[in-house]
This record gives sequence, C-alpha cells and structure tokens, in this order.
Amino acid sequence: MKVRELMTSHVESITPSTNLRGAARKMKEMGVGALPVVEDGKTLGIITDRDLACFAIAMGHDLNSAPVSKIMTKEVITCKADQDIADAAKLMQANRIRRLLVLNDDNSLAGFFSVDDLVRGSHELAGAVLEAAIPVH
Amino acid sequence: MKVQDIMKSPVETIASAESTKDAARKMHDLHVGSLPVVDNGQLVGIITDRDICVRVTATGRDAISTRVKEVMGKAVETCFVDQDINEAEKIMIDHHIRRLVVLDRSNAIAGFLSVDDLAKSSHELASRVLEATIPIH
Repeated sequence: MKVRELMTSHVESITPSTNLRGAARKMKEMGVGALPVVEDGKTLGIITDRDLACFAIAMGHDLNSAPVSKIMTKEVITCKADQDIADAAKLMQANRIRRLLVLNDDNSLAGFFSVDDLVRGSHELAGAVLEAAIPVH
Repeated sequence: MKVQDIMKSPVETIASAESTKDAARKMHDLHVGSLPVVDNGQLVGIITDRDICVRVTATGRDAISTRVKEVMGKAVETCFVDQDINEAEKIMIDHHIRRLVVLDRSNAIAGFLSVDDLAKSSHELASRVLEATIPIH
C-alpha cells in the first residue's frame, strides 16, 4: 500500500514570519496539532502545538512579535507520496517520530502521514511505530 | 497483564493554582505532554500542552496570571493499577482517548498509562485505541 492512499492531504501551512500567537490561533481554528512552515513553495520546517506551549510559553517569547521561524523544527523528516507505507513506518521508527511530511516528486508539499493514518493500513506497523516513538505522556 | 506492569510511574503532577507558564516549563523540562492536576492529594483535572497552546498562546491571555485551573480539563478518565490492560484499552476506546491516570485502590495517583505503553505489550491493543480516537494532525 502506498502513502498516498492513507495520507492526509490538503494540509494547511503557515509562513515563517507569522507570529507565535497567529500560529496557535490557526491550529486552534483548524483543529490541527502541527503545521508545515512554507515560503515560496518551499517547506522550511514544522511547528506543533507542543512547540507553542513548551517553547513559546515556557521560554517567555513575545507571542505577538516572535516569528514561527524562531522555534520551528528545521530538520523535517519527509517521505514521498508513492512510497510504500512499510518504508514510511521504518522512517518513523528510525527517527522515533509519529508523523512525516509527504512530498510530491517535485518536492512540493503533498500532505501529512501520521501513525493515525498508518493504523488504517496496518495495525502491526502502527504498533511498531508507537513502540519506538519517544514517549510524550 | 496488569496496568501496573506497563504503566509509567511515578508521575509528576501540578497544583491547580500554579501558573500556566509554570505548567509549560514543567512539561518542557520533563519531556511530557500532560500533567495530572492534584490539590491536597485529590485528582482535580489534567492539563496538556495542547490546552496551553489553544487556551493561552492562541488567546492572548497572560501565561503568568492565568492559572492551571482556568485551562485544564476537568473530566479525567482513570483506571486502577490492578486492572487488566484489556479493560484499560476498553476505557480508552469508549472515551476516544489515548491516556489514563492510574490510581491505586486508595485512589492515590500511581501512574500514567498511554497508548505508547500499550504498544509495548500489544500492537493490536494499541492500534485499536488509535483507530477509536479522533486524530489531531
């Protein structure tokens, strides 16, 4: 089975210059926990609701002036839409993460592929990803 | 297998009168995404990194003056240390959640049980919990 068949496509993105409050508001409105950071068609990073609590608040950033680029994760692990889900699961396991950004062949953003998507394709693969993931209780 | 065989223990907690900034800092330092809220030995709620993102970062409330009790979830699902993990799985599935606060038979907090912990003993159990919850991508 291919990533394309299970991934979440049409994901919202955010620009690196958006302030932290704006990013949090967008996540709240869209009901999402992560946003790809995109500028001029290029994916620069990813920001999560956890970043916007544990870094933005805990570190005392000015939420109205600090940009997303200041706290986003720049090293993003990606896979391709036409990859096999077993390959994607292996990538998650090796990096101890629960979601991947999915790129098209031209490296434009195709979507997100998370362990929640994976579980609809294989309980065994999803279980193995959870077991390997860095636990966040 | 019993909950106590696979749960995380001990668990850090926070008091409801603490600031949300302190809660964010604690989650950051401890690498956790949620904290049971305990007043005088009583479990009164649970606060997650997402609560802080959508109710503090997104809203413009001040994280130092906003207390944990203002943004925490008051409905906390629990299980007991000596329950079978299949029963804990059923509680998670019925409530569409991925973690439970674990109590001992005197109702004191004994640990935390998450879908990640379930995955370590059974990929199948963990996968059923994932499928039953509403993913936040």
